[in-house]
Amino acid sequence: MGVTARDWSEQYLTADDLERTMVAAALRCVARWGFAKTTFDDIAREAGVSRATAYRVFPGGKDRLVATVLHHEIGRLFHEAETEVAATDSLEDLLCTGIRLAMQMLTGHEVLQYMLQHEPEVVLPHFAFHRLDVVLAYAAELSSPHLARFLPEPAVRPAAELVARVVLTFSFNPSDRVDPNDPLSIRRLVQTYLLPAITPNAELRSPR
Amino acid sequence: MAETADTRTRIIEAAHERLVADGVTRTTIESVAQHAGLSRATIYRHFPGGRDELGAAVVSWEVGRFFDQLRAETAGAAGFADWMVRRLTVGRRLLDEHEVLQDALEQEADQVLPPLVSVMPIVLGMLRDELAQRLEGEHLRPGVDRGEAADLLARLLLSFMGTAGSWQLDDPAEADRLVREQLLAGVLVTYDR
Repeated sequence: MGVTARDWSEQYLTADDLERTMVAAALRCVARWGFAKTTFDDIAREAGVSRATAYRVFPGGKDRLVATVLHHEIGRLFHEAETEVAATDSLEDLLCTGIRLAMQMLTGHEVLQYMLQHEPEVVLPHFAFHRLDVVLAYAAELSSPHLARFLPEPAVRPAAELVARVVLTFSFNPSDRVDPNDPLSIRRLVQTYLLPAITPNAELRSPR
Repeated sequence: MAETADTRTRIIEAAHERLVADGVTRTTIESVAQHAGLSRATIYRHFPGGRDELGAAVVSWEVGRFFDQLRAETAGAAGFADWMVRRLTVGRRLLDEHEVLQDALEQEADQVLPPLVSVMPIVLGMLRDELAQRLEGEHLRPGVDRGEAADLLARLLLSFMGTAGSWQLDDPAEADRLVREQLLAGVLVTYDR
């Protein structure tokens, strides 16, 4: 597999300003022209750095760019959700808040949605089959500390992964049954289907 | 009209045979035309988008075949949970053994995934209907809606079939545990923990 979830999260958290500037510049270029028409030089220019500096930050050039930007964005989105997620005080609320925020971020991410619409060949390989393992592992790793507040250790990883799968399927194949802008639909999913699957026994489930 | 549909199917089947024999990167409009005994012009008449459009047609044709085979191989399962376990394990095995898909994912993931993903809503719908039918007569947990449960189970089946994550799904005991503890715990009274 090569890249592990740990590498990913560290890639975001330990990124320096220059790397973040480059990622932000890449996103702006892709939003403006699409991925195919964006050159590595465009990104360097947008970031206000020299070509040589740009290649030092992203040694793989444009080829490795999608994976790097994706890692950064997932890391950033989790980071931004941190405060709201940490404020939840029951497993049910944690799941509702986490799923709602993650779905809102995915479905509301303009560059991702633009690419899914117009350049699916660039992003889809990262969200299918064995390459999705990396995304799942990463998402599970980032959400595990929150779940561990309410679940015994062996239940954490399977729960984190199940939640990540639920978020991905309802974000990529939308349904009004589970709508990120309808918190009640998410609460129903959590109460009816997810809590029984995730909690090892009934006492841990929060009361309605 | 019938002749047109026949020619179209003949081209798709020829393309599939070339993919099996030659691999993804070496299959061309030219090799498909030769194999089908048709001119390149005929192929472009049916697939004006050329290799991309033909590729997309082969993908959706093959997805249909794949699920027919999966349905046939899981027909004998006894109860609902066993049927789910078999769907999952047989589905994973068929995907693993699917040389054209594995080759395509390796060589041309960017070309095979968009058409594959674009037929997913149809696949999801088929699987949802089948699950809804199978859930009829099962003892659902209070508050569970059959159509809603069928939709969620169809989504999760496809998710685990494509990507195992941290589960060892070639181990039947672990697949069984996944189905009973994670997929059905919220749906059927029997597995409510």
